Amino acid sequence: MAEIILDKISKRFSNGFYGVKELSLTIADGEFIVLVGPSGCGKTTALRMVAGLETISSGDVLVDGKRVNDVLEKDRDMAMVFQNYALYPHMTVAQNIGFNLKLNGVPRDEMKRRVRQTAEMLGLESLMDRRPKQLSGGQRQRVAMGRAIIRDPRAFLMDEPLSNLDAKLRVQMRSDISELQKRLGTTTLYVTHDQIEAMTMGDRVAVLKAGELQQVGTPHEIYDQPANLFVAGFVGSPPMNLVEGRLVTGDGGAVGVAIGPITIPLSAHQVAQQSLSSRSDGELIVGIRPEDLIQAPSSPPGPDEARHRAVVNRVEAVGASLLVYFALDVTAVHRESLADTGHVADERLVVVANGTTICATFPPRSMVRPGDEVEVSVLGERLHLFDPVTELNLA
Amino acid sequence: MNRLRRWGPAFLMVLPSIILIGVFVYGLIYWNVRTSLQQQPMPRGPSGTTNYSKLWAERRWVRDLKNLGVFTVVFIVGSLVMGAVMALLLDKGVKGEGFFRSIYLFPMAVSFIAAGIVWRWLLNPSSGLNLIFDKLGLDSLKSQWWQSKSPWGMAAMAMPAMWQMSGYIMALYLAGFRGVPEELREAARMDGAKERQVYRHVVFPELRPVTLSALVILGHISIKVFDLVLAVSGKQGKTETPAVYMWDLIFQASNRPKGATVATLLLVGVAVLVIPYLIYTVRSERKS
Amino acid sequence: MTAPMPTETTAAMPAIEPLPPLTDDHQLQRRGPVGHVVKIVLLFVFVIFFLLPVILLLLTSFKSLAEADPSRAWQLPKHWTLDAWREAWSQLHGALGNSFKLVIPATIISTVLGSLNGYVLSRWRFPGADLVFTMFLFGMFIPYQAVMIPLGLLFKDVGVDPGLGRLIIAHIVYGIPMTTLIFRNYYATTIPNELIEAARMDGAGMMHTYASVILPASAPAFVVTAIWQFTSIWNDFLFAVFLVTNPDSWPVTVALNNTAGSQVTPFPVQMAGALIASIPTLVVYILLGRYFMRGLMAGALKG
Repeated sequence: MAEIILDKISKRFSNGFYGVKELSLTIADGEFIVLVGPSGCGKTTALRMVAGLETISSGDVLVDGKRVNDVLEKDRDMAMVFQNYALYPHMTVAQNIGFNLKLNGVPRDEMKRRVRQTAEMLGLESLMDRRPKQLSGGQRQRVAMGRAIIRDPRAFLMDEPLSNLDAKLRVQMRSDISELQKRLGTTTLYVTHDQIEAMTMGDRVAVLKAGELQQVGTPHEIYDQPANLFVAGFVGSPPMNLVEGRLVTGDGGAVGVAIGPITIPLSAHQVAQQSLSSRSDGELIVGIRPEDLIQAPSSPPGPDEARHRAVVNRVEAVGASLLVYFALDVTAVHRESLADTGHVADERLVVVANGTTICATFPPRSMVRPGDEVEVSVLGERLHLFDPVTELNLA
Repeated sequence: MNRLRRWGPAFLMVLPSIILIGVFVYGLIYWNVRTSLQQQPMPRGPSGTTNYSKLWAERRWVRDLKNLGVFTVVFIVGSLVMGAVMALLLDKGVKGEGFFRSIYLFPMAVSFIAAGIVWRWLLNPSSGLNLIFDKLGLDSLKSQWWQSKSPWGMAAMAMPAMWQMSGYIMALYLAGFRGVPEELREAARMDGAKERQVYRHVVFPELRPVTLSALVILGHISIKVFDLVLAVSGKQGKTETPAVYMWDLIFQASNRPKGATVATLLLVGVAVLVIPYLIYTVRSERKS
Repeated sequence: MTAPMPTETTAAMPAIEPLPPLTDDHQLQRRGPVGHVVKIVLLFVFVIFFLLPVILLLLTSFKSLAEADPSRAWQLPKHWTLDAWREAWSQLHGALGNSFKLVIPATIISTVLGSLNGYVLSRWRFPGADLVFTMFLFGMFIPYQAVMIPLGLLFKDVGVDPGLGRLIIAHIVYGIPMTTLIFRNYYATTIPNELIEAARMDGAGMMHTYASVILPASAPAFVVTAIWQFTSIWNDFLFAVFLVTNPDSWPVTVALNNTAGSQVTPFPVQMAGALIASIPTLVVYILLGRYFMRGLMAGALKG
């Protein structure tokens, strides 16, 4: 168990391209940190640099205060779980799990005991003599976990360990791994492209884009206070609605945000906190999470609530809720930085004849159908406001 | 009827080959065995297994077998070790890998006859390799080669064979090494394995099928070795192998039944080696 | 060189994946500079081992008969002369022609048969196809000695002239197992079953599928097989020496083995002859060796 510090580590390839750029991150002893980002963002490279499988072009990796840049991977005492598990095909489950102990010359009896203990922890007792080929995907995954935990290493490094499992098993393993990590208290760095995994598993989440760190924080912070437009677009499913807006001052000095036909009042508290007044032109990027755009209640609107009537274009029943899409006469946000988020996957879906497609969340049994007119409601305090130039959160 | 329409054309397409193989391989093997059961001169009719029992009683035959045994062991072990070492050296990637690979492999493109002509000189006690060892002061390496009195003289004959085949083994192993997923090696390193241990515990166990293939290839070449011996040493008792003996029986002694007897025994030797291998291969292919 | 390749799909075509270009910082340095030097030295020791015979051949082939003394094998010729080459050429050029007349038709026919067989045995497996394939495979490994005696008798009985015709037939027939194996494995790994099924759904019959789907994708396998057959048939000695009794029809391997002078062994002529006899296969190896590898790579990628 150990504290791992990444101090401005960079990976520069010979063609001048940066795989990872000045990444700094402190992983506390026993902490579970998830590195998340779109594919090609450098998260796996960063993990491999910590593992020692990849050299570090500049910067330092410190384990318990000691610089390990030049320590070979075999001497770093870290265990890694690979995306394809990388189980040794010619070894049985027991031999796979015990390989590290064998290399370290652990006596046979102790090895046997520890292998059995580990297998019990993972429910693999009955499979000890099988070979990887004879196992299901989930079983292989558990063997890979076993190979890591038996060592009681200073850290677990996991590279998309669940991406080869089917959806149901993935959910199960998600909580199994979290629970195991809590129980063992081993420092863990976990890489995934799946933001749901990131949000559900990590003590903290680090969001990476193009080799650069965007934000580190608890899942809650990442979700509620995304540091910039990229994080806002990347985290959340269905993704946040992002449109262009303007700061307006109404009668009596009340400040609000106008997006197309709607003006959403901001609370005095919000206005005070945000450096909004300094923005002379008042141009903003406004983000609204679909779950914050809801079916308007029958009660009259509150002081910082805005409502809007719209005709439904499309409805998706996702079980726990109903996603309702309608067009709003407002300009959609097209930014380079959103390209990798899966946010604007298909422009034709977003930009419609009469504006931008907006997603709202309705109760699952609200019986809304395309063509219906509905009224949606949003609270000012739920808005995410971004600077259109720096793309930073204005909160 | 349905089956016929479905598979008929496919079967017809391979039928010529089936007939050719049936006649020229299996038919002729049968004919050969029958010939081996006859007596010389031919018209005397069948003699049963007399030819076989006579052959096994011959000192010449036993010596030939011993020669073949020595040659086979040295040739196989030598080629496997050389091939594996060359593949290991190349595995991690060196500058000019393509150059080394081409040099190591080119003897495959040369006939045993052409190679034998030059190896005759290289293995000449007063020439070739001995001259080089002399210059380098490596007198201990000098040898009478196949002309030595030691029963291991035949081992020298394996050198030209290794020269021809070890590059092929290198290519097999190198392809095998490269076929082991990089992730497996990384996993082993993360598990604390030194490079040597990575090869020992992870890479080589993955290559067992490659080694098996190599063994069978080298083994069956060895059993029928003929032109190489002829080109290097000519017909010499010291280096005679069963295949050379057979040639002598047919062209010198005109003893066809006895020649067929040797041929049948060569076939049995190859079959013992190859049939289990074929069964294993077809089975493991069916499994996957 | 009559080594059948191993029968396993993976090893049958040793497609050596090239390493990704190494960047300086790809991996931590595992081996010190000393280790690296040792490695390079070893690699060159092997290079010398493989080239020694070539050096000796070249040196001797430019010597006169008088100078070609085994005990001075490694000395440069004092008087460079092409006499040995001229003599070797005059002795061998007829045989070289015979070899080409033998190799070209035998290679083409056995390769085409291999392609058809490979197609059927990988993609139209009629009941018993596996058995047929196994029987073929065994045919690849048999020592030709085991069929040689009756083969000669058969040719005589049927009345095949004791010339090149016999050799061509023999090399076609005994080449079938190898060519079938290469094509079968190639088709099994590079042509997805869906492709065949799609062609069938489109109404194509077996031959039509072969012509429109299989054949256009077969170029690498044709090259590989043709190179293989060319080299093995060119280098064959056993069949030739047993089946061709007429010296005018000898292919180059047999003629080379019989290069002899009236009294002394003409070493320079033999060595020059060995080089001349090897040139065609070496040219194929040098020119197509790369294509060979590339063809395999392309096949592997498509699969």
